[in-house]
Amino acid sequence: MGDVAFRGAVKRFGTVEAVRDLTLEVADGELMVLVGPSGSGKTTALRMLAGLEAVDAGEVAVAGRVVNDVSPRDRDVAMVFQDYALYPQMTVRDNLAFGLRRRRLAREEILRRVNATAETLGLGALLDRRPRELSGGQQQRVALGRALARRPRVLLMDEPLSNLDAALRVQARAEIKRLQQDVGTTTIYVTHDQLEALTLGDRVAVMNEGTLEQVGTPEQLYDEPVNVFVGGFIGSPAMSILPWAGGGLLLGVRPEHVRPWEEGLLGPLDGRVAYVEALGRETLVGVDTDAGARLVTVLPGRARLAVGEPLRLGLVPAGVRRFSPDGAAEDARFPEHRVGGPG
Amino acid sequence: MIDRREQVLAHLMLGVFAVIALAPIVRILGMSLSDPGNFSVAWDQGHFGTYMRSSVLVTSAVVVAAGLLSILAGYAFGMMRFRGEQVLFYLFLVGLMVPLEATIVPLYYDLRDLGLTDTYWALILPQAGVSVAFGTFWMRAFFRSVPRSLVEAARLDGSSSWSTLWRVVLPLGRPAVLTMVVLIFMWTWNEFLLALVMVSDEALRTAPLGLAFFQGRNTTDEALLAAGAVIVATPVVIVYVFLQRHFIRGMLSGATKG
Repeated sequence: MGDVAFRGAVKRFGTVEAVRDLTLEVADGELMVLVGPSGSGKTTALRMLAGLEAVDAGEVAVAGRVVNDVSPRDRDVAMVFQDYALYPQMTVRDNLAFGLRRRRLAREEILRRVNATAETLGLGALLDRRPRELSGGQQQRVALGRALARRPRVLLMDEPLSNLDAALRVQARAEIKRLQQDVGTTTIYVTHDQLEALTLGDRVAVMNEGTLEQVGTPEQLYDEPVNVFVGGFIGSPAMSILPWAGGGLLLGVRPEHVRPWEEGLLGPLDGRVAYVEALGRETLVGVDTDAGARLVTVLPGRARLAVGEPLRLGLVPAGVRRFSPDGAAEDARFPEHRVGGPG
Repeated sequence: MIDRREQVLAHLMLGVFAVIALAPIVRILGMSLSDPGNFSVAWDQGHFGTYMRSSVLVTSAVVVAAGLLSILAGYAFGMMRFRGEQVLFYLFLVGLMVPLEATIVPLYYDLRDLGLTDTYWALILPQAGVSVAFGTFWMRAFFRSVPRSLVEAARLDGSSSWSTLWRVVLPLGRPAVLTMVVLIFMWTWNEFLLALVMVSDEALRTAPLGLAFFQGRNTTDEALLAAGAVIVATPVVIVYVFLQRHFIRGMLSGATKG
């Protein structure tokens, strides 16, 4: 029994189905990341759970109770907004206390929780400031604090780090992970950044055009994408997809499983270098094969390759994922007996 | 980059218009100040002792009533979805566009049937009604400009619509509210026709009517008229000066997204 459940949940905006038949369970204390490109329905799903969007069909449940018709304030969920939505005219202290006061907690309890939250998040020195006097990172922590001070059953986060610069984002990501593990609140986290999803999530749900494509641990998503979309979305650079066996099959292969040709690999595949990205420790090389697909390989150190240079590549059989022509994964990895040249 | 000639031209044009706007005011000030005794004579002849009291009473009632109702109606139109929202809003716009002069005659008969002519209600109710049309339109624009996430955060925090309005949203709208207050104050204070038509009781008349005393059938004492005009205009100027910083910010808030 999940702590949070979507059961066949649907949201329509006019004729567009923003969320299609979403079924997903989140376990107690789990950090579930919803990830997908923009327009995938991930934020809409989150807002349905918060009660900010009506559920057009199906059910949304929190703690075993169907909450379709329960007002947001009575769902016991808190949310961190993308723009933080801090109350501008209130001090940090009042921002943290606002939700507690609205719930008529005792004065001492409010004080205790505000101070405890401020300490956990290192906001002690900022309690008397107003939001506009804070840096982006500080505002983000206040937003998180405001949600946590309420001790909600479920914590929702809608792209909470997208307004921070890259360095701060990595730091805040680690902090959120640690905090979530400490407090153990069931958390649903929305992001479009697959790297953020993989590093944060206990499990990750990949959405695309309103449909849930796959749910699994980060390892499962990386190693066993159920279709071409997930393979292409998770991992950077993405999984390369190439037609095989006369187009009767698609192969998905990650850069680390594409190597210069040698015996025992699948192939050979001949092509020319399309681009070279030297990352320092390694070099990414994009290769346009003569068969028409683009492969990406990662070579150690600094590879001395020029664009247009011919290159012969092979695929590590254990790292190759098979997809049927409609994009869905075939049941197993590329079987040994099918090793051979392109049909 | 604006070149120098263009700049000079712009200043010249602005200067000309400023003179056109200011000249009558300067002239009235000059005439009224020609003899400082003008003011006390005008105060007595214009019955301003009584009339000012009426004006203050009517104007405060209108500002408070119309201001409150406009905030509430603007909140509903700006932030809530409800059936008939569009139709109702257009109805408010009609109220904004039809001038009082067009409805004053039937309004007179209606109020007379209700026994309200020759009472303060005859001045307060119509003026409040007209002001609510504008105020609702104005406050709706403000509420529309407030980030939705702020209201959503308050809802999740357990705040009712009522406390979201007063504690979360409205504190951000001080410039908008004060601008509305200044405008409603000014229009109500300066209203002439309504006061002329609806009340005949000396004790209920408002300050602008006092100016009529200086316009005799055959002669007009211009110096006294000017002094009276200054007396009537002073409260508006004072209110404006006190609130002008907010007023300008309120006027600009619609202009830039921020």
